[in-house]
Amino acid sequence: MPHDATSRRTTGRRLAAAMAATLWLAACGGGGSGGGNPSPPTTPPTAPPAPPTAAELDDAARFAATASFGMDHDGIEAMAESGIDAWLDAQFALPVTRHLPIVDALIARRNAGEFTAYEQDIEYLIMFRRLSWWHATITAEDTLRQRVAFALSEIFVVSDNVDALVIDPVSLSGYYDMLLDNAFGNFRDLLRDVTLHPAMGIYLSHVNNRKSDPAANTFPDENYAREVMQLFSIGLFELNIDGTVQTGTDGQPIPTYSNTDIREFAKIFTGLSYGGSGAYFGNPWPGFREPMRMFDNWHEPGEKHLLGSTVVPAGQTGMQDVEAGIDVLFNHPNTGPFIGRQLIQRLVTSNPSPAYVERVARAFNGDATGVRGDMRAVVRAVLTDPEARSAPAPGATFGKLREPVVRYAALLRQFGARSDDDFIANTGYFLQGVSRQHPLSAPSVFNFFLPAHMPQGELTTADLVAPEFQIATSNAIIGLSNLIDYAVVGDFVTDAPEPFLPVSLDFSDYIAVAGSVNDLLDRLDRVLTAGTMDPATRMAIAGILNDVADPNYRVRIGIYLVMISPDYAVRY
Amino acid sequence: MAAATTSSCLLQLGLARSAAAQSAPGYRALVCVLLAGGNDSYNMLVPVDDDQYNEYAGIRSDLALPKAELLTLPGTTADGRHYGLHPGMPELQALYTNGDAAMIASVGTLLEAFDAEAVAAGTAKLPLGLFSHADQINQWQTAVPDARIAKGWGGRIADLLGDVNVQNGVSMNISLSGSNVFQSGDSIGEYAIEASGDGAQGISSYDDGTDWGAFKKRMIDDLLAVPQQHVLRREYARRFRAAIDAQAVFVEAMQAAPALQTPFSEGNFSQSLRQIARVISVRDVLGATRQTFFVTVGGWDHHDEVLDNQARMLPAVSRGLGEFRDALVELGVFDEVTTFTTSDFGRTMTSNGKGSDHGWGGHHVVMGGNVIGGQIYGDYPELSPASPFDVGRGIYAPTTSVDEYFAELALWFGVPTSDLATVLPNVRTFYAPGSASPPMGFLAP
Repeated sequence: MPHDATSRRTTGRRLAAAMAATLWLAACGGGGSGGGNPSPPTTPPTAPPAPPTAAELDDAARFAATASFGMDHDGIEAMAESGIDAWLDAQFALPVTRHLPIVDALIARRNAGEFTAYEQDIEYLIMFRRLSWWHATITAEDTLRQRVAFALSEIFVVSDNVDALVIDPVSLSGYYDMLLDNAFGNFRDLLRDVTLHPAMGIYLSHVNNRKSDPAANTFPDENYAREVMQLFSIGLFELNIDGTVQTGTDGQPIPTYSNTDIREFAKIFTGLSYGGSGAYFGNPWPGFREPMRMFDNWHEPGEKHLLGSTVVPAGQTGMQDVEAGIDVLFNHPNTGPFIGRQLIQRLVTSNPSPAYVERVARAFNGDATGVRGDMRAVVRAVLTDPEARSAPAPGATFGKLREPVVRYAALLRQFGARSDDDFIANTGYFLQGVSRQHPLSAPSVFNFFLPAHMPQGELTTADLVAPEFQIATSNAIIGLSNLIDYAVVGDFVTDAPEPFLPVSLDFSDYIAVAGSVNDLLDRLDRVLTAGTMDPATRMAIAGILNDVADPNYRVRIGIYLVMISPDYAVRY
Repeated sequence: MAAATTSSCLLQLGLARSAAAQSAPGYRALVCVLLAGGNDSYNMLVPVDDDQYNEYAGIRSDLALPKAELLTLPGTTADGRHYGLHPGMPELQALYTNGDAAMIASVGTLLEAFDAEAVAAGTAKLPLGLFSHADQINQWQTAVPDARIAKGWGGRIADLLGDVNVQNGVSMNISLSGSNVFQSGDSIGEYAIEASGDGAQGISSYDDGTDWGAFKKRMIDDLLAVPQQHVLRREYARRFRAAIDAQAVFVEAMQAAPALQTPFSEGNFSQSLRQIARVISVRDVLGATRQTFFVTVGGWDHHDEVLDNQARMLPAVSRGLGEFRDALVELGVFDEVTTFTTSDFGRTMTSNGKGSDHGWGGHHVVMGGNVIGGQIYGDYPELSPASPFDVGRGIYAPTTSVDEYFAELALWFGVPTSDLATVLPNVRTFYAPGSASPPMGFLAP
C-alpha cells in the first residue's frame, strides 16, 4: 500500500489522549454544576399533532439503523411521524448524491494550487476519493441510497489494493457512483454496468482480455468469468428460492457451473478495452469516465455454450455476446435468493430465515409486479419484511454486528458533525488502521468478511453465521473503542490534514437533558440502541454517569460508553 | 445420538491432549506464510536443463523468464534434474545453498493420488471448487478438500496441544493477519496482533496509574461485567473482555523483548516476521511451549502483469525469509522454528496474454534449522504439452498432496502419530501414520 498513516495515527492518539486528560481535569475542577437544563416552553403550541409514542420512536430508530448511515433524534421523530413507507418513498425519489463531483471539486482546488505544499505528496490525490466518500456519506440526504450502495460495494467488490485503482481517484468514486445510480434501478443494468466499468475491468482483469491465439498458446482470461458467477450473480450451488442449497441424489450440493462454463464465459468477456477518445484495444492507459468499449476484432469468435442451456450463436458482435451472457446470469433462478440473502445480511440480519429469503427472492423475481430485478422492490422487501419489523427479542437470533465503517459514519451523522469549511474531511485511514475496513478497500474480491463466516464457540454450536465478526479481532474491538473515545471525549473526530479544517460534533441537545442521567440515557437508548439497551447495561452506565457531574463530560462519557457497548455493537 | 458423539469426541480429545502434553519436548513453532491469491510458482522454481527449460519456455510463451537470469540451485534431484529460482530471490538461493531451506515441488489439494485417466473420464474424486480461490485458499488451511469447513489444521493442533502452554488468554496460535481459518479450532482461535509497536493495543488510559485511568478501568469493567442476553452481544462482550485481558499479558511480555540486532526491511512481510521473532523471544514470559504463527502476503492473483508483479513481490518474500533466519539464529532458536509457505494454488502454465489463470499444484519453500535443506522434495512434473499431469491450459496436477506436506510439519511440531488423522482427516490416503518412514523427510525428527 502506498499510503502510510502510522505517523499521523500516532500523533492523533497523543493529541486525543492530551485532550481527554484536559477535559478530565476540567470536569474535576468544574464538577457539580449539574445545570444545562433549558427552561421548559411556557406556552404549548396550538393544535398540537399527536406526537409519536415512545414505542413508535424506538421502532423508527430501529428501522433507521437498517436503512441509513445513522439518523439523529430529529430524523427519527420525522420518520416516526411520516411512517416508514412514506419515508422510503421519499428516499427513493431523492436525487443521487454522487461522489465524483466532490472528487472533481477537490481536483479543481488542487489544480488551482491550493495544495501546493503537498504537490509532491501523491497521498493527496489518493485521499480525494476517501474524502468524497466521507463527506457524501455523512451529509447526503439520500442516505438510504448511500447505504444500499455501500452494501452493493461489498458484493461487487473492487478495491484500492490495486495500484491502478488507488492512484486515480476517479476510478473508485466513479465506480461507487455507478453503484449509487443503479441502487434503485434494475439488477440487470447493475450487473451490466459493473461488468463494463473500467475499475472492475482492472480489478478482475477482463480489460484488454484477448481472444484465444492458438499460435501463441494464449487463452482468454478466466478471472471475471469465474467471479461474476461465483460472487456477483448465481453462486456456487443450485439454490431453492428460499436460499437453501439443493442437493443431488448423492446428498452433495449441485454445482451451478463447471470449469468448462468458466472457459465459455471467459470468451464472452473478451475484446473490452477503455473507452473515450482515441480508444484502441490494448490501450494500457486507464480511462475511468466511460464504460469499457468492445473491440470486435479482439473478441472471441464462434459459438459459446453457457451453463449447458444457452447457445450464444457465432457471428454476433461482442456486445451482443456480453448482453447474452448478462441475460443468462440475470435470469438464473439462483440470482434472486443469492443476491437477496446477501442484501439482508448486509442491511438487516446475519441469519435470515429461509422464508424471509424467499420473500425477498420473490420480490427480485417480480412475482407480484412482473418486473424482474426491480431494486426498489428488493430493497423494500429486505427492509420491511415482517421478520425485520417484528418486535426485538433478546432471546432470538435475529440481529447483526455493526460494521466498523457503519459505526463510525453513524457517530458523525447522529451527532451533527460540522466543519467551518462545510466539508466533512475524513480520510478514514485511522479507522482502517484499527478495523481493517474502509469502503472499496477490501483485501480481496471476497470482501472484508465472508457471508458464511461462523465464529467458533457458542455461535458454531448454535449454527449461526456472523460475517462481521471475521474482522472483530482483539485489536479491532479495542482500536475502534479508542477511536470513538478520541472522537467523543477527545474531540479528535476526523483525520484529514491541512488545509482541511477539523470536524466537530454537537452534543448540545444531549447536554440540555444531562441534568438527569435517566433522561440522558433515555435519549441515548432511543437514538443509538433503539430501545434495546439491556437494563443491566443501562444500570452499569448510569452508575458511572452518576459520578460525573459536569454535564458536558457526562454526555461525552455516556455516548462513549453506549457506543462501545455490546448493546450498540450488535443491533437486533 | 449427536450428543453422545460429541461427548465421546471430547473425551477422546481430552485423552489425546493429556498424552500430547506429556510427550512435548522443548519449544517449537510453526510459521505459516500464506501467499494469498495463488502464487505463479512455476516461475519461482524453474527447470534449467536445456530440454526442460525449452519446454517451459514454449508453454509459458510471453510469461517465460529468461534462462540466463534464473538463480541456479546447487545439486540435482533424484532424477538428475537441475532447477533455478526466480531472479529476485537471491536470499532464498543462499538459504537453500547453506542447507537452511528446501523446496517442495508441485504440492496441491488432493482427495486421491492423481490419476490422469480417471480425471479425463470424469470418475476421479476431485477437491471441491478446484481452481476457485475461496475453496482452494480454504482447503490449504483446513486440509479437508471434500468439505467446506471453517476449522484449520493449525486450530486442530491447538485443540490437541494448547494445554501445554500457560493458559493466560494469549492463544497458542498468533496471527499477524487477523482472523484466519488455519488457526481456528473448536476451542482455540487465533490471537491477532499487529506488526507495529508491541503488537497489541489496549484501551486508551485503562488502568494507567492515573486517576483518569482508574476511572476508565471502572467504566470498562462495569460495562463488560453485564451478562448479555443476546447471543451476538454475548459473543462481542466475551471478545472485548478477552481482548483487554490478553492484551495486558501480551504487552507486558513484549516489553521484556530483547532488542533485535538483525535489521529487517520496511515492508509488511519483513515487519511481520520481525514481530514474530520478537514474540518468540519472549516465549518463556508468555509461558508458551508451542506456538503457530500466521502471516498473509496478499496480491498474488496475477491474471495480469505477472512478470512485473512477481519481480516486485518475490524479492520481498526472499528478503523477509533471509532476515527472519538471521533473527532466529540471533535468538538461538532457528532449530526450533519451521517456516513454510502455502498458497491457493499454482497457476496455468499457459498465458492469457497478460498473466496466468488459476491452476492446481504449486511449489513451496520450507525453512528452519531442522529442515534438511538444499534439496527439492516431491516430484517436479516433467513439462510437456503431452504431460499426463496437464489437465488443460497448462494446469499441472499436484504430485504431492497437502496432507503429506502438512503431516511432516505436524509430526515435527509434536502431534502424536496416533492423532495425526485428527489433525489431517484425509492423511491416510497418502501416508500411514506410524509408518517407519516420514511423510516426506524434509525435517529432521
